[in-house]
Amino acid sequence: MKYGLFLGCNVPAVRPDVERAIRLTMPVLGADLVDLEGSACCPAFGSFPSADETASLAISAWNFCIAEEAEVDLVTECGSCYSSLRIARSKLLESEEKREQVNRLLEPTGKQFRGTVKVRHMLDVLFNDIGPEKIRESIKYPLENISAIVQYPCHTLFPSEIVGFDSLSGRPRMFQKLVEALGASVQTYSRELQCCGGAGGFVKGSFADASEFAFKKLRAIKKETDAEFIVASCITCLQHLDRMQDELNKKNNDNAYSLPVFDYNQILAVCMDFNPGEVASISTISRDEFIRNIRKK
Amino acid sequence: MIDLTKTNTGLWREITDNCGDIRKCFNCNTCVAGCPAAEGDPPLFIRNLVRKVLLGLEDELLEDETPWLCVTCSACEEMCPMGVHPFEVCLDIRRWQSKNDETYIPAATAEIFETGHTQAVGQVQEKRKAVGLEAVPPTIIKFPELLKIFQEMLRNTDIVRENDYMFRS
Repeated sequence: MKYGLFLGCNVPAVRPDVERAIRLTMPVLGADLVDLEGSACCPAFGSFPSADETASLAISAWNFCIAEEAEVDLVTECGSCYSSLRIARSKLLESEEKREQVNRLLEPTGKQFRGTVKVRHMLDVLFNDIGPEKIRESIKYPLENISAIVQYPCHTLFPSEIVGFDSLSGRPRMFQKLVEALGASVQTYSRELQCCGGAGGFVKGSFADASEFAFKKLRAIKKETDAEFIVASCITCLQHLDRMQDELNKKNNDNAYSLPVFDYNQILAVCMDFNPGEVASISTISRDEFIRNIRKK
Repeated sequence: MIDLTKTNTGLWREITDNCGDIRKCFNCNTCVAGCPAAEGDPPLFIRNLVRKVLLGLEDELLEDETPWLCVTCSACEEMCPMGVHPFEVCLDIRRWQSKNDETYIPAATAEIFETGHTQAVGQVQEKRKAVGLEAVPPTIIKFPELLKIFQEMLRNTDIVRENDYMFRS
């Protein structure tokens, strides 16, 4: 199995430890990653898609062409990249007019959009191509007697006809099963499927309300579960649920919220015995003690 | 009091491109019920934006910054019972605003033009090396000659042509 690793912007710049975890864990599971050399921003919804659709589709097509030349599907961890690329691809395939406009822009670059490659999310590849069984067999430190909650990336759920891969977009289960494959138990709670609220312009445009939105989720986790950590599979969910616990602690002037937040490939990498200093080293809420406890077992 | 005889009744044709037929919207509120940004202040109520478009309230719509609060989760896309595609309505309105008032054009477009990215991907070399990665990732930031071609491509787009002072290489 060969995939083109689409990095986007946030993973390589803000949380390169996630990139490291992906690059180390996927080949162990038989998924070889090739670099999409010269790939750019997806582009993010708040950039070109909010200003000029043709320009936006041309940038997405630029990225598709690189994967087409390498004859690999793109795989990405970032929910926004995934959704932006999936929606762009669907628009390009649906409209001949848009495809022609974009190919006219691409022509001087020597590229041409053909539509021969797909866009996959990391969770989709992990569950549907690799499978929980293979993951279970690959780990050295199982997460026995540890309970988790999962943060489903909203961009992989809706709109299901364009981005969906879980057979139950409205009641997804794949992520839970992937975390259970690591030995942990996964608890559900009332606000499980609410998005983290960290993407788009909400945080920037209405910080207090966006924070309160995340606090509701965090309070629900605390009240309804005894989860010891959070697993995400989207760079925005990862950063936001980490940062918002810190904001809530500041607001309450205590340290009541201290759940370690991991990207799935990060916790997988720790369970596989990769160096935590490389695969899980950047966070606001400390993950060190949690990691030490896993490795003691 | 809004004088409905002085509104732009063709506004919906001008704005709607990717969304569904917004005339089917009957204000059921489903797009608001599951929307994180509906809890903002002011709140994002897509059904209200749809009304503004349908009534042709151009000035009100141009001043309305709530479409920019959208978290892009697309729950509204999934739930809308009339196939209006509320998320696409949001993006359609943002594009119309950017076209009619350049101050709406997101700074991120210029950043992508300049570096190919929305983050300082090329300027975190120590951070990347510390986790065992190559200092500069193999994206467009590593290939200046490709970035130049990328910029040339974007120079032929409407947004860059019409606002060239914003886009520097």
